[in-house]
Amino acid sequence: MIPAEAHGTIALRASACTSCMICVRECPTWCIELDSHTEQVSDPGARRPKTVNVLDAFRIDFGLCMYCGICVDLCPFDALAWSPEHDHAATTAAGLVQGITELQTAWPPTGPPTDN
Amino acid sequence: MTLHSLPALERRYRVTGHPELRVAILDVGLACCALEVGAAITAGMLVPEVSSDTGGDGCVVSVLLISGTVTDALAPGVIRAWGALEDPKLAVSFGACANTGGPYWDAPTVTKGIDQLIPISVYIPGCPPRPEALVAGLVRLARPAVLTHSDQSGESR
Amino acid sequence: MTSQGRIDVAPADWEQVVSGLQREGFVLFDFITAVDRGARLEVVARVINPATRVPVMVWTTLPADAAELSSLSGIYLGATWCEREAAEMFGVRFIGLGDSRPLLLRASLGEPPMRKSSALVARAIRDWPGAAQSTDDGRQGANPSRRRQLPPGVPEGFLRDNPLDSDVSGDVR
Repeated sequence: MIPAEAHGTIALRASACTSCMICVRECPTWCIELDSHTEQVSDPGARRPKTVNVLDAFRIDFGLCMYCGICVDLCPFDALAWSPEHDHAATTAAGLVQGITELQTAWPPTGPPTDN
Repeated sequence: MTLHSLPALERRYRVTGHPELRVAILDVGLACCALEVGAAITAGMLVPEVSSDTGGDGCVVSVLLISGTVTDALAPGVIRAWGALEDPKLAVSFGACANTGGPYWDAPTVTKGIDQLIPISVYIPGCPPRPEALVAGLVRLARPAVLTHSDQSGESR
Repeated sequence: MTSQGRIDVAPADWEQVVSGLQREGFVLFDFITAVDRGARLEVVARVINPATRVPVMVWTTLPADAAELSSLSGIYLGATWCEREAAEMFGVRFIGLGDSRPLLLRASLGEPPMRKSSALVARAIRDWPGAAQSTDDGRQGANPSRRRQLPPGVPEGFLRDNPLDSDVSGDVR
């Protein structure tokens, strides 16, 4: 029986990610890669268009990941969370690299932990 | 422990919930990941077969389970353990260290992935992986694609 | 010069001071290790008086480029192991240490790995994913300092001073 708060894998909620790169820079094993670009978005009523980041790619190499959770702890936007999912074995080393789609699939129904 | 005695350490297990799976595991437990293998056994996920159990159905696949940090100094021992196993055999890399070097990916003395030295059939990620992840990885071993791959690598050797 | 179980000694007095401690009852040897302070290398030995359970740490400072110190292996046999480790990890030469074979590392490793001048080559040759600039961290225009462009573990100027050929980069993933 695996508890819901188990550290099975790390999941991504891409809609919450602002491409700030904090997780990528703080990862001790350099297992996270992130690609993004900026776009101009015009809000109705706004004087000028604003620049927003658009996430193009987010990859975690779970072959390298040491499951320390520093990325989960540091993400200012709760875009990363622990998930009890654990069945991620692969038949190639490259198969351990997960992109946005796989990382979102593991997002826990309980959502990220809160401080209170 | 001498290397020529290694095959005797290989032990047969049934995998709880997967009666089709019979494995003879030689666990090369080089670091903390080895504890998770022990946890899988004590939790009853892997059930050791008694010797009278040997007959019966299906073939038993020998599995070299590399659980832990492979250093360059120890890598020759892992290769010899692989050589000592009899066919049919498969190798499973268990945990970040065996997969890629993991937390020690930048260390000058650690092998950056045991797959540089022996063919790996299943990579189990984790630091350490849960015992349940070990079982999930072993179940993957039984998939036809993996077994076929093993036969081909056997022919090319 | 004792404060809270710490004794600072000159390298020349190292063996004599520790030997005196042993005669005073500090018969249990704990460890010897070193601390890289850049130009200086500090060596520390910890010994314990089992009767009083009082530990003492003896410190000395050596020039990093000529780190030589008398061996304590004649006083405490158990110091041999620690001195062999400190020798290969920090490049301290222990005078009078009988067995100076590498204990843990292969001889071909080169510079003692615990010295700060020793680069983690794997970090130097792999592209750091964090080097890519965030598009919104506000640093791009105003401060093109390329924050942390060189990751920790790689001394400044390492790549400039040690151009790596492709053979080396093929060796480390």
